[in-house]
Amino acid sequence: MTQETVTLTIDGKSVTVPKGTNVLEAARTLGLDISAFCYHPGLSIVAQCRQCLVSIEKNPKLQPSCQQVVADGMVVHTTDAHSTLARAQQLEFTLLNHPIDCPICDKAGECTLQKLYFDHDNRDSRVDVPKVRKDKVVDVGPHIVLDQERCILCSRCIRTCDEVAGQHQLEFAFRSDHETLTTAPGEALDNPYSLNTVDVCPVGALTAKDFRFTMRAWELEATPSVCNGCATGCNVEIHHKHGRAWRLVPRHNPDVNKYWMCDEGRFTYHDLREHRIAAPLVEGLPSSWDRAIASAVLRIGSYLKEPQHVAVVLSALCSNEDNFALAKLAKEWKVGHVYFAGKPSVPQRADGKLRVADVNPNLTGIKAIADGLKLGAMPLPPLLPPTMKAAIVLGDVLAVDTHKLKEVELISFAAHERGPVPHAKVVFPIADWAELAGTITNLAGRVQRMHAAFAPPGQAIPGWEAIVRLAHATGVRLPWTHAREVFKDMIATVPAWKDLQWAREARPLQLRFAGSRG
Amino acid sequence: MATEATLKQLVLGRKDVQDLSDTEQELPPDLMTVNMGPSHPAMHGTVRIVLTVDGERIVKSDVQPGYLHRCFEKESEHATYTQVFPYTDRLNYVSPMINNVGWAMAIEKLMQIKPTPRCEYVRVIVSEMSRLTDHLTCVGASAMELGAFTAFLYFLKCREWLYELLEKVSGARLTHSYLRIGGVAKDLPDDFDADLTKCLDQIVPVIAEVEVMLNNNKIFRDRMAGVGAMTKAEALATGCVGPIARACGVDYDVRRDHPYSIYPEVEFDVPLGTHGDCYDRYLVRVEEMKQSIRILRQCLKQIPPGPVMVDDPRVSLPPKRDTYNTIESMIRHFKHIMDGIRVPPGEVYVFVEGGNGELGFYVVADGTGRPYKAYCRSPSFVHLSTASQLIHGHLIADIVPIFGMINMIGGECDK
Repeated sequence: MTQETVTLTIDGKSVTVPKGTNVLEAARTLGLDISAFCYHPGLSIVAQCRQCLVSIEKNPKLQPSCQQVVADGMVVHTTDAHSTLARAQQLEFTLLNHPIDCPICDKAGECTLQKLYFDHDNRDSRVDVPKVRKDKVVDVGPHIVLDQERCILCSRCIRTCDEVAGQHQLEFAFRSDHETLTTAPGEALDNPYSLNTVDVCPVGALTAKDFRFTMRAWELEATPSVCNGCATGCNVEIHHKHGRAWRLVPRHNPDVNKYWMCDEGRFTYHDLREHRIAAPLVEGLPSSWDRAIASAVLRIGSYLKEPQHVAVVLSALCSNEDNFALAKLAKEWKVGHVYFAGKPSVPQRADGKLRVADVNPNLTGIKAIADGLKLGAMPLPPLLPPTMKAAIVLGDVLAVDTHKLKEVELISFAAHERGPVPHAKVVFPIADWAELAGTITNLAGRVQRMHAAFAPPGQAIPGWEAIVRLAHATGVRLPWTHAREVFKDMIATVPAWKDLQWAREARPLQLRFAGSRG
Repeated sequence: MATEATLKQLVLGRKDVQDLSDTEQELPPDLMTVNMGPSHPAMHGTVRIVLTVDGERIVKSDVQPGYLHRCFEKESEHATYTQVFPYTDRLNYVSPMINNVGWAMAIEKLMQIKPTPRCEYVRVIVSEMSRLTDHLTCVGASAMELGAFTAFLYFLKCREWLYELLEKVSGARLTHSYLRIGGVAKDLPDDFDADLTKCLDQIVPVIAEVEVMLNNNKIFRDRMAGVGAMTKAEALATGCVGPIARACGVDYDVRRDHPYSIYPEVEFDVPLGTHGDCYDRYLVRVEEMKQSIRILRQCLKQIPPGPVMVDDPRVSLPPKRDTYNTIESMIRHFKHIMDGIRVPPGEVYVFVEGGNGELGFYVVADGTGRPYKAYCRSPSFVHLSTASQLIHGHLIADIVPIFGMINMIGGECDK
């Protein structure tokens, strides 16, 4: 089926777009930047800010280009004196009551208002009347603070609550220059998708309590990755600086999360700094890599001769590559038991939108890998079989009573010291999700790429690399020197993944020069 | 006190001279390779020359720049257009103002901005002061390396007067960063006219005195005249510019032949040499200093009143009072500093007469706040390429005056 198209002329250039497109989107395909505040490609159109007015021939009045649907033969002008003046004047009105907050505003540097003023107006103020004062620090919800003075009344946040979260929690009150954004009667801005309003806010009216006054936006660097909060696998950008993440923001992916992500997912970056292991541990004491490897081999070496006494536990919280490396090692060792473990599911979390019950980012992935290697992996039972003498565990979540593990020779590959890790005889520190190049598989079976935003702490290394070191010490050759090579061997094993490509490493993007994010 | 025998012992080691064989008494006949630089007190800047010498005579030389790792061009791509000014200061760091002017003119040409008349005069004044400091340093240091320490101290004293004045103007003694795109950072200080006149009146007799000391000094002439000579054709073929080319008789000065700023409005002569040797380069530089003083005196007479910064919101920062009191000015100030001046896409080559000759900036803009590509046509780099040919056949000691008169500045050469 071919899509119906429409051809129109914008600023003398002919452009063909699908039927039903609006003029603003059509202009953007030509690289023309029509200024706009209230328009957001993921939200309904209200033509509220009047910032995108353009002239259309045979139409006596200026039209908002976001609302105007294209028609065949339409002739649009965006740079004529009439519409340029109208947009500049509109911007002047918008700035009329805007507070002089840039130096203390968290949005400065990624503010649409700043960008549009600098690109499209850049003239001095012509008024000398006092600005209308409104409330500055309004606690509208558990995660968000509202500054009513900064608000330019574009209603993006109202529509985000209505359309993304499905809850009408924000509303405008009063009229004219006293119009303010406020919570709807009896409501608080507490829906599980509330922080998307902060992303869509073109100015600094809505700011996240989590990010407020922590880091200036232009100093951050952005690395694309995937949220590890649940099995949805929302595409995110890690905004980081000085080797630590400062916030997660959603990255557009029409097939997974569109423009959005949930609040819970945004806070997962805090965990990157919790209880991190920076050096290998032997009997709970820091050690060198060589000594830790030697110690691990000494402990499990005799059991590997009778591999039915050895168990290997894969982790639904680790990347495909880490799990594949361990699964491959388990196969080479011919161990008796291969299990997989992860967090228990949270049924009340599922809402039919982005949040799902499975809070493990990679359960689908490890099942596919275990099937591909024909390991017959099972979920970890509450009690290990009594014949078990040694266990190699990936990750720090087992969701079973871990005290039993004290009795076996437990070797742990983990990023955080918790769960089974304190009981392990030898612990190898591995990189957490924001620190590694790798892939994870979401609930729908989509394999998505994560990029390393910064280096793991101390002597931690990517999980697959740690597993390769242990394998070599036990006489198993795993010929990998890069995550890409693990990936290549992995997709050859799993039939559904055979056409996948390893994406090039993404270099961190300096937000200072990325233009407005608004 | 040591006896004659023990002295012999000290000089010749364990052997007496009569104990040496015939072959041992002769100097070795084969060529020797020695390093000069990269860190050597007589080398201007960090440059290494691998010399192959036959005794004291140079038969082959390999000049190797690049030890300074300046990265001016690459660093410029990571800075806003305004942030490049401090980098240009460090190109030819004895005449930073001229580098500032070149960069500002390049960006202004891209943005089609014409600075105010007063700004143009201020720029020429500080440029010519910088030319004076450049030549004073070059001539003084070269004389010092040939043993004439007095000339060096006299000239450095003059240079310090100029530096003090430039510090009054810009706030910094050496790395001024005084220019801005569309103007200069601030107007000249109130008593600048009198200060500069007094300064020039002091410098003139010092130059005359040093000329008396050097021009007919036998040692100085013997070391300079006929040393490191280059013909006019060679100068043209190798792309030499500035005092070096003019010493060879190449009648070319950017200020006169491709006039920029307000140079058409002042009178000055372009001195030319005849032999193209080190002595001519010295004479040309001394005469250029006198011409610079002449230009400066004219500028002080002609400089009009008025603003020193164009009133163009694309490049000028709003006044502080507005920045703190209106949101429009606040945003503009913020964007200018954080995102940089928005230069429309295009490419440009602009060249000015630097201390060492034609200093050019080729800039490619892509519409953002940073240069997409910045290239510097630095005269020092071109001149250094002739060094190998100039020192060929001379004695090792001659490298010092030749290199002194090439006046290679490391910061400009290793861009």
